Amino acid sequence: MKLTITINGKNELLECAPGEMLTEVLRRAGYVEVKKGCDTGNCGACTVLLEGKPVLSCSYLAARADGKNITTIQGRVDEARRFAQFLTAEGADQCGFCAPGFTLTVLAMRDELANPSEADIRHYLAGNLCRCSGYEGQIRAIKNYLEAQHE
Amino acid sequence: MSEQHRDPSASGAPARPAPALSATNKFHVVAHDLPKVDGEGLVLGRPAYTDDLAPANALYVKLVRSPHAFARIVSIDAAVALALPGVACVLTWKDCPRVPYTRAGQGNPEPSPHDRFILDEFVRYVGDEVAVIAAEDEATAEKAAAFVAVKYEVLEPVLNFENALDNPIILHPEPEIHEMFPIGFEPKRNIAAAYHMELGDVEAEIAASPVKIETTVHTQAQQHVAMEPHVAFSYLDVHGRLVIYTSTQNPWHTRRLLGLALQKPIREIRIVKPRIGGGFGGKQQIHVEPFVAMVTLKTGRPARLALTRREVFEATFTRHEMRVSVRLGADPNGHLRAIDMQILSNTGAYGEHALTTFMVAGSKTLPLYNKIAAVRFGGHVVYTNKVSAGAYRGYGAIQGLTGLEAAMDELAHKIGMDPVELRRMNMIHEGETSDVFRIMGEGTEGVAMTIESCKLEECIARGKELIGWDPARLVREVAPGKLRAKGMAIAMQGSGIPLIDMGSARVEFQDGGFFKLHVGATDLGTGSDTILAQIAAEELGVEMKDIVVHSSDTDHTPFDVGAYASSTTYVSGSAVQRAARSLREELIAAAARKLGAAPGDIVYENKNFRSADGKNTLSLDDFSFDTLYHDGAAMQTIAATESFSGEKSPPPYMAAFVEIEIDTETGKVDVVHYAAVADVGTPISPMLAKVQIEGGILQGIGMALYENVRYSEKGHMLSHNMMTYPIPSREDVGRITVEIVDSYEPSGPFGAKSAGEIGIDTPPSAIANAIRNATGVRLTEYPFTPERVLAAIRAGAASGSIGSRLEGAGARTAPRAK
Amino acid sequence: MEIVEYSRPRSIDEALRLIRDRGGTPIAGAAWLRTNAKTIKLGVDLSELGLDFIRETERGVEIGAMTSYRSIETSELLAERFGGALGAAVSHVVGVQLRNIITIGGTAAGRYGFSDLNTVLAALGAKVVLYPKTALDFARYVETGAEGPFLIEKFILPARARAAFSQMRISESDFPVLNAAVAKTNDGWRIAVGARPGATRLCPRAMAMLGSAERPSDTTVAEAAAQAPAELRFGSDIRAGAEYREAILPALLRRAIAEVRG
Repeated sequence: MKLTITINGKNELLECAPGEMLTEVLRRAGYVEVKKGCDTGNCGACTVLLEGKPVLSCSYLAARADGKNITTIQGRVDEARRFAQFLTAEGADQCGFCAPGFTLTVLAMRDELANPSEADIRHYLAGNLCRCSGYEGQIRAIKNYLEAQHE
Repeated sequence: MSEQHRDPSASGAPARPAPALSATNKFHVVAHDLPKVDGEGLVLGRPAYTDDLAPANALYVKLVRSPHAFARIVSIDAAVALALPGVACVLTWKDCPRVPYTRAGQGNPEPSPHDRFILDEFVRYVGDEVAVIAAEDEATAEKAAAFVAVKYEVLEPVLNFENALDNPIILHPEPEIHEMFPIGFEPKRNIAAAYHMELGDVEAEIAASPVKIETTVHTQAQQHVAMEPHVAFSYLDVHGRLVIYTSTQNPWHTRRLLGLALQKPIREIRIVKPRIGGGFGGKQQIHVEPFVAMVTLKTGRPARLALTRREVFEATFTRHEMRVSVRLGADPNGHLRAIDMQILSNTGAYGEHALTTFMVAGSKTLPLYNKIAAVRFGGHVVYTNKVSAGAYRGYGAIQGLTGLEAAMDELAHKIGMDPVELRRMNMIHEGETSDVFRIMGEGTEGVAMTIESCKLEECIARGKELIGWDPARLVREVAPGKLRAKGMAIAMQGSGIPLIDMGSARVEFQDGGFFKLHVGATDLGTGSDTILAQIAAEELGVEMKDIVVHSSDTDHTPFDVGAYASSTTYVSGSAVQRAARSLREELIAAAARKLGAAPGDIVYENKNFRSADGKNTLSLDDFSFDTLYHDGAAMQTIAATESFSGEKSPPPYMAAFVEIEIDTETGKVDVVHYAAVADVGTPISPMLAKVQIEGGILQGIGMALYENVRYSEKGHMLSHNMMTYPIPSREDVGRITVEIVDSYEPSGPFGAKSAGEIGIDTPPSAIANAIRNATGVRLTEYPFTPERVLAAIRAGAASGSIGSRLEGAGARTAPRAK
Repeated sequence: MEIVEYSRPRSIDEALRLIRDRGGTPIAGAAWLRTNAKTIKLGVDLSELGLDFIRETERGVEIGAMTSYRSIETSELLAERFGGALGAAVSHVVGVQLRNIITIGGTAAGRYGFSDLNTVLAALGAKVVLYPKTALDFARYVETGAEGPFLIEKFILPARARAAFSQMRISESDFPVLNAAVAKTNDGWRIAVGARPGATRLCPRAMAMLGSAERPSDTTVAEAAAQAPAELRFGSDIRAGAEYREAILPALLRRAIAEVRG
C-alpha cells in the first residue's frame, strides 16, 4: 500500500506491505540512522519521534503512520550535535549503535520533563539499552547537558 | 530499585587525592580525555555500519537451520524453493568444499580444533546451519527457506556437559577433523581439548595444611548481546577478488581461515571492518561470512546477510559454561600453601576457543596468589549439542575467578580473618613473578614474566575507602526484611598474548602537515582508533586533528591479530608508538638534510624544525608540501611501518568492592554501589578506559544476577530474544564508581597496559562473597536469581547464621592466634 | 507480521461491523501482535475511533481502550484518584517509547499473564465495556474471556479508591515473576494476583478476612496474606518455579495492604 509520511519535514511517498512495521519502511527509504537491534521491542535502537513523542518504530505499524509526522535524529541534527558534544566528552559514545535512538529520546525527555532527577532520567531512558558503556557515562553526559541548557 | 540507592553523596569517602606525578602533566595528548574520532558521525546516525553499506542490488541471504539438537541430514529437496521467482540459489553441504576448519579468531596455528565445515552432513545444535538461500529480496528469501524440505535422521543429543565425557553418543565422528598441534583433542570421547599442569606436590601440601578449603562453583553460559546483530556482505571486485565487509573483531584471521574453508588463496580475499556495534568476543569468530561468500562465488553477485536477534542468540556463540572446583591448603594464619583448580568446560557443538578459555581460567587467576608452594590446574573441555561457546570478555578468567575468590573468602571465614587482609597477605606484588606465567600460555607454554607494575595495594586501599569497608560490620539490617552487605574480590587479566599477538602500524606524512595512521587494529566502538591516534600524536608532537586513522582493511592497512585478549592498547599501541617514533626520526633527518644540518643539530618542537643556532627554521606544514611537490630529486613520501609483539603480557589489576541490598522475604539482590579501582598502567585516555571498565562491570553484574542461557529438555534455546534474556537496564544498578590508580608499565606504550576485559572479571565473585556475608550461605549456581537467594536465606536462617552475622560475629581484622 | 488487508475505520460501528461480520482482527498497539508473527486476514486499526481518553463521568473514571500506557502513567486524574497504583503498574513496562504505543485495551484483550495493569484493574473492581453496551466485571472477564467477536470500548473504574501495586522481577526490564494489587473501595478490600505465571485472579478468602475494616490489624493482614497462596494456582516457567511464587506472595500482599491501609 502507499503511504504519505512527513519525515524530518519532508513529504515522503512510500510503499509498504500492510503488516510492515515502521523501521523497515524507514530504513528502506534510506533513513539508516533508525537501527534494528532486536526483534522484540526491547532495545530502543529504532526510536523515532511520532508527532514529537518517542516511539519504537519496530513496534509501530507503518500503515498507521500515514499522514503523520516522523522525526529521526537527522531531523534534529543541530540539537543532536550539541548533545553529542557532551556524550563524546564522557567517552560514552562507544560503539554508537544505540546512540541515535538514545539521543532522540534524550531530546524528547528534555522537551517533556523540566528538571528531571537522576531517577527520572534513568526511568525515562530505561527503554534505550546499551551494552558498551554501563550507562554511567551517559548519565554524566545528560546531567552536564541539562545543566548547560539552563545556563 | 529505590531512589535511595542513587544518592551521589552517600559514600562519604574522601575525595581522591590528586595524583603526585600525574601522567597528565607529562604528556600533551596521551593521558588526556579527548573525544573519540568517530563520535559525532555515529551519534548522528550516519551510514557507517555493515548493514548500512550493503550494495543496493545485493542478494538477500537466509539460512535454513536445524530444528533438532543432533541429527544427520538425509536429504535436502530445494526444488520448490528454487522454482520461486527471485530465488538465485540454494546451497547445501554438498556444495561446500569438504575442508574442516575452525571459526575461532586466533593466530595460526590455531589452538582450536578444526572441527567445523561450512555446512556439514550433521547438525549439532538447534539452529545449526543446513542450507543457504539467496533471493532478490528478504521476503522471498524467507519464503523460499520455508519451502526447503529437509529429511533428518534425528539422533539423541548430549545436552548436559556433566555427561558428555566418554558418552557413547559421539558428536564429532567425522574422519577429517583434527587439531593443529596437541591440545588434548579426543573427539571420540567428546573432548575438544584438555590440559593439565602441576608445580610442586599439591596433594602433599594440602594434606599437610592445617586448614583445607574445597569449593565448587557452576558458571552459566552468557550471551554477549552486542547491540548490532552479526552481519556481513560480499561482492566480487573488478578484478574478481572476493571482498567481504563484516562486523568482525579479527579481519586477518577471518581472511586466512575463509581462504582455507573456501579453498581460495588468501590473496584473492579482502576483509573490511567498517564501524561495528560492539563485539565483546561474540565477533571474534567467523560467523556469517562463509555464507555470503559462497553465494557471491556461486552467483557472481553481491550478497548480504544480517542475522535477526533471535539468530544471534540461538546460532552465534556464547560464553563457556564451566564447573570450577578449587581446593586450598593454608596455614591458620592465612598463608596459602597450595591451590588446586579443576575445571570442566562446555564448548557446545564446536570447539572454538575451547582450550584457550579453559587455560585462561587458570593462567589469569592463579598468579594472583603467587606465594604458594604448589599449584595444580587441569580438566577437560567437552562437546555438547548446544550452541557453540566461543570468546567472551574475561575469556575464562571471570569463570576461574568465581571459584578462586569463593575459596579465598571461605578461607577467610574459616580462620576468622578479614577477607581483604587475606588477599593482601597472599597476593602478588611489583617485582615478583609466578611460575604460572612461565608454564601456562594460551594453548601453548607461557612466557616467564616479572611484574613491573602492580598497584593492587593501592587499589585495595582506595576501594575500601570508596565502599566504607569495615570487616566487623559487613552486614547490617537497614529496614525490617532488608539487609545490606558488602563483599570484595581482586582480579587480573593480560595485555595481549606474548609472542603470539602481533600488531603493525604505518604512519605517512601528507601535504597539509597531517599524518595518515594505518593500523590493522580493530575498533569495536571501544575507541581504539582514538587512543592509537593519541599515541601517534604524542610521539609526533602534533595534535589529534593532525592524525587521520584508517583501520581494519586487509588490503590497505598493515597486519593486526584483531581486538581480543586485551591486546589493542599494549600490542597495537606499541606498534603505533614505534612507527611514530621511526617516522619522527625520518622527518628530522629529512628536514636536517633540507636545512643542511646534521639530524642531531635539529630541534623539532611545536610543529617546527629549527637548527640549533636558531638561524634556519622550517615549519612542519611547509615541509609537507616541499617533500611532495617542491624538492626535486629529494622529494619522497616520508613513512614508517613498525610491528610489535610483546615479550610479556603485563596484567592490569582490579580490586572491587560491592554493597548489595537483599530483600530477605523475596531474595531480590540489588547492587547499591559497585566500587572498582583499577591499575591499567598509564591510561592513554582515562575517560575511555573508565567507560570500558564501567561497561565491563555492568556486564559482569548481568552474569552474576540476571543473565542465563536456558534450554528446553530437547535442546531448544528458551532464552532466545531480549524478552527472555534481559540485559541490565539503566534502572537495575545503583551506582558504579570506577577509579584508576597511578601506575606505569615500563614495557607498555607511555606506560600503558590494556583495559578491555578487566572490568568484567570481579562482579560475579564480589557479589557471591557479599551474599555469603549476608546470609552465611555460599551460592554456587549462577546467576543468583531471587529464587536461589531466597532458598539460601531460608537455609541460613534455619542454621542461625544470619542472626550471628548481624551481631558482628563475622570477620575480624586480625587472624586468630597461630 | 503479515496483514493481508488493512482497514482504519473512522467510526466504532464500522469497526465493530468489520470485526463481527468480516472476521477482522482488532489492532490496538500492535506491539505484542507483531512479536507473534501470525497472518492476519483483515486488520482493523482502532486508532481513529476516539477511544483515547481518561475522563470522569457519573459512573466513575472512564479510560478509553486505546489510551496508551504513557497517558495512564502521566495522568494527574488517575494519580489523584488511585494513589499512583496505576502509574506504578504501567511504568514497569520498560521504555517510554513502548508505553507511548501499547494500550490498556490491547493488554486487556490479550488477558496476558504478564500484565501488571490487568492486576490493578482487577483489584480496583473495574468494568470492561464491550461495544456497544456489554459491561463485564473485569476480573471475571480476565478469567473467562468473552464470547464471540467483540470490541473493547472502555474501562470504568470507581470514582476513587486507595490502591497499591507490588511486584517481583528478576531485573527491571524483564517480565514480572509475580504481581499483586490491593485496593480498598466502597465495597471493601480487593486483592488481585497475576503473573502466576497465569493471568490475574482475585483472592476471595483473603479479601473476606480483611472484610470491610478500614484498618485491619497487622495480625489479620499477615493471616490473610499467608493463606492467599492456597487460593491460587501457580506454575513454573523460565523465570521462576511455582514454589518460589507461592513463597513470596504473602510478602508482596502484606506490603501492598500496609501501603493502602497506612
